[in-house]
Amino acid sequence: MIPAPTRYARATDVDHALELLGEPDAKAIAGGQSLIPVMKLRVARPALVVDISRLELRGIEERADAVHIGPLTTWSELASTGLPAGLQAIPECARGIGDLQIRNLGTIGGSVVHADPASDMPAVLLALGARLAVRSADGVRELAVSDLLLGPFTTSLGAQELVTDVVVPVPSAGSGSAYASVEHPASGFALVGAAALAGPEGETVALTGVGATPFVLDGDPATAIRDAEIYGDRFASEEYRRELAGVLVERALARARNHAKGDR
Amino acid sequence: MSDSVIGVARPRIDAPDKVTGATRYAADGYVHGLLHARPVLATEAHARIRGIDGSAALAVSGVVAVLTAADLPIVSAGTDRTSEPLAREEVVFAGQPVALVVAESEAAAEDGAEAVVVDYESLEAVVDVEAAMEVEAPLARTVEETDDEAGDLESIHAGVDHGQADDPEEKLSGNVLDRITREQGDVAAAFAASAAVVEGTFRTPWVYQAYLEPQVCTAWLEPSGTLVVSTSTQGSFVTQREIARAFDLPLERVRVVAEPLGGAFGGKFALVEPLAVGAALALKRPVRLVLTRSEDFQATNPASAQVTHLKIGARPDGTLTGIEARMIVDRGSNAGWGVEGISSLLVAGPYNWEAHDLRGYGVQTNRFTFGAYRAPGAPTAAFALESLLDELAKALELDPIELRLQNAVGEGDVGVSGTPSPVIGAREVLERIKEHPLWATRDALPEGEGIGMAAGHWPGGLEPAAAVCRVNSDGTMTVVTSAADMSGVNSGFAVIAAAAFGLAPDQVRVVSADTTSGPYAGGSGGSKVTYTVGAAVMRAAESARQKVLAAASQELEIAPDDLEVEDGVVRAVGAPDRSITVEDLAKKALRFGGRYEPIEGHGGSAQTSGAPSVAAHLSHVRIDRETGEVELLRHVIAQDVGRALNPALVEGQMRGGAAQGMGWALYEQLDHDEDGRLLSGSFLDYAIPTAEHVPEIETLVVEVPAPDGPFGAKGIGEAPVVGAPAAIANAVAAAAGTRLYELPMTPPRVWKALRS
Repeated sequence: MIPAPTRYARATDVDHALELLGEPDAKAIAGGQSLIPVMKLRVARPALVVDISRLELRGIEERADAVHIGPLTTWSELASTGLPAGLQAIPECARGIGDLQIRNLGTIGGSVVHADPASDMPAVLLALGARLAVRSADGVRELAVSDLLLGPFTTSLGAQELVTDVVVPVPSAGSGSAYASVEHPASGFALVGAAALAGPEGETVALTGVGATPFVLDGDPATAIRDAEIYGDRFASEEYRRELAGVLVERALARARNHAKGDR
Repeated sequence: MSDSVIGVARPRIDAPDKVTGATRYAADGYVHGLLHARPVLATEAHARIRGIDGSAALAVSGVVAVLTAADLPIVSAGTDRTSEPLAREEVVFAGQPVALVVAESEAAAEDGAEAVVVDYESLEAVVDVEAAMEVEAPLARTVEETDDEAGDLESIHAGVDHGQADDPEEKLSGNVLDRITREQGDVAAAFAASAAVVEGTFRTPWVYQAYLEPQVCTAWLEPSGTLVVSTSTQGSFVTQREIARAFDLPLERVRVVAEPLGGAFGGKFALVEPLAVGAALALKRPVRLVLTRSEDFQATNPASAQVTHLKIGARPDGTLTGIEARMIVDRGSNAGWGVEGISSLLVAGPYNWEAHDLRGYGVQTNRFTFGAYRAPGAPTAAFALESLLDELAKALELDPIELRLQNAVGEGDVGVSGTPSPVIGAREVLERIKEHPLWATRDALPEGEGIGMAAGHWPGGLEPAAAVCRVNSDGTMTVVTSAADMSGVNSGFAVIAAAAFGLAPDQVRVVSADTTSGPYAGGSGGSKVTYTVGAAVMRAAESARQKVLAAASQELEIAPDDLEVEDGVVRAVGAPDRSITVEDLAKKALRFGGRYEPIEGHGGSAQTSGAPSVAAHLSHVRIDRETGEVELLRHVIAQDVGRALNPALVEGQMRGGAAQGMGWALYEQLDHDEDGRLLSGSFLDYAIPTAEHVPEIETLVVEVPAPDGPFGAKGIGEAPVVGAPAAIANAVAAAAGTRLYELPMTPPRVWKALRS
């Protein structure tokens, strides 16, 4: 329960952070709610921990047609901040993550780049069509959340890249979104989680907990779930999770449609 | 006097220190020159150790030694965890300690432990307890060593007889270490004469005690040669005996100090002490071992997994006829004892049967080392029996509580143990839940909801004990016992001593003494501390009262029989103005040239009649038929507690027991893969009930005084967990319309049951 020996450095700004991340086996830390546990288990053993928690990448701002969420924004902030109509799934999801202590420290950016295949918010971001701004020495690139998540705990981020903005498009008027999950009773991570966006342009649904990464269901959800590759283990079988996915997608969609009708 | 002391709710005497963080636990004390130990745990469930290479660990700065089994100065033979705290040549479960790295700092010890290389030759792992019994099954342990002395720990929990002779016809593998048979009457004939016979196979998993404070021990040698063992234990004298046996030390050279417990639930009886002691003796320096949570999950002694085949019958009027049980107990690596004895006794419940055939099998596998857990073997037994009693009630169209009431054991009834029952409150607690308004609503619930009930009991342990009550020169009293303060027993002693002597409870301090200075007490377990040590405290206080009366008699020139002691003042009966305070008398005694014997009493007890406790539960649940999730809505527990010395603590035990039962019912399971590697070895995988899950628990205190208990009190710690899982299972069955035969009732299992 004592992490392997490591060094620590606090980044003063994004450029400094990127420079520090240039060292071999350097790892950025924000709220520490994902990294510290795996360091204590010595599953992760970075040579250098780069503390980015004081960078000015925190806060929620509505600009043009999108909500910009700083990656250092905590779950507690997301749970309690008023967002434009249609984005109900974000606070709904944030309120169900971890416990109060975890929500006060855990950040949306940290969670997304940790790429836990059962984490909740990535499914919501996928359903809402969110994009990420990523800074490196070469400048800023933008990518969809689906292009970030490659596999369990694996992303397309380079070693010297940092997510600097989570950009969530504001859904058109008359839209609503929701998140529904059944949690593992110990970890609280989703056995299956379903995020849904319903609006005039149609409906989008994403799942988490059932595969290598959270993913968007293409086409008719029932068919897509039937054909999807679903993960099973000794606690919850593939058959159970597949069935649960159908149930939770229906529940998330029903609530998203209600939200769309203005029913909160 | 006693009326204003006994039965009043008051805070635990240790509460202020515990809630402010002032309590110093076994891991907190400063010891000069302390070394820190870190175990290396086996990564294989069954293997031969070819070699252990500690050279890389020794190269880590700060590492002092890498110890293996041969380095510990242990002389006792046997495979028990006292004699073999580090695996000698054969690893028998994944997580078994195989080496100990000792270092100047905790961090160096951890770095060192990571660098130890163990060379294993894999052997076939025996993971399935039922398959392990088959004649051709591979053995979970191939190296045989026996030690007849190793069974000492069994007697702590319940002195259970081993029934009658084994069935010579039944051919089983060498993994079956123990067979218990209890037979009386013709069970087949009893079933034939029954209007309904129901049966089922019930499974419960390995369950972890999940105490807050992990296992910890610090050991050092005093310059005089006395070994000091400062530890988190339920039993100081049992630990002293175990250490003396393992290292062949004279008892008087082993001083065991039971530090304040941060939870134990049966799991803390001499487990890590031999490691810390062995290292301290080998290195001649103080050594501390504090298990990390994940080590504690892997390397300690949880409750056995059990498989129970049960069959019961009844006549048309509900009179129970026969009971037939075959209970398979997974002992893991524990060759010394198992719960097959107590579990196959308790499976009959607090009910009368015309004929019984009860069998228990203790089977070794390559999983953990079995240990005690609050009411060992009882929750599983009650889960099986109380589930089938509901099925029987359904088949006979009888009310489930009436069925139980009709057959409940009363005082003098000869149960399956073969001896007449002592005073028992089975009927009283069943009546209390029958009257509860919640029970009346069970047929008018919304879709998806269900209400279930069940009873559970614990026979109560016995062990002689002694205590000292000493009045100090300021008029306060100090009670000295060697019982580990678990579940608030010290707070109970304070009330007993205050009432028996004639003091206000806040004038009484309780000291938990060590094995060098304290009067004898057995381990805190088996629901016996208040009943046995408490009785000794009562007699010690009465003895001290005689001393104070004798002194007062001389001072006041009044015969002792005409005096009474109340609230620290000795008065003449009927002439209250003729009085003297206990403080004044103590001052006259405790001084140079004083005139009176110190006001000090010694008391002992050797109870011979047990004091069983029965608890009945009502559970109200809601299930989600689509996801299989079970939500606990409300829980009611009625328990016979003899006499509630301090109702706040009694109700706390009832709530805690019920909450742990909720864990058994819905959440807790230590699961292994097919190679015997632990899959749920952290709180990320192993769920316990939390504030989020536990509903309101209503406590109904039922008082059927125990004739030999202090003020009628008895041990009540174990009974409340026993019937809770069964009550929840019966509620789930009512809600789902189908029954689950395996705990915990996780969402996937409930979902599956709903579909089959």
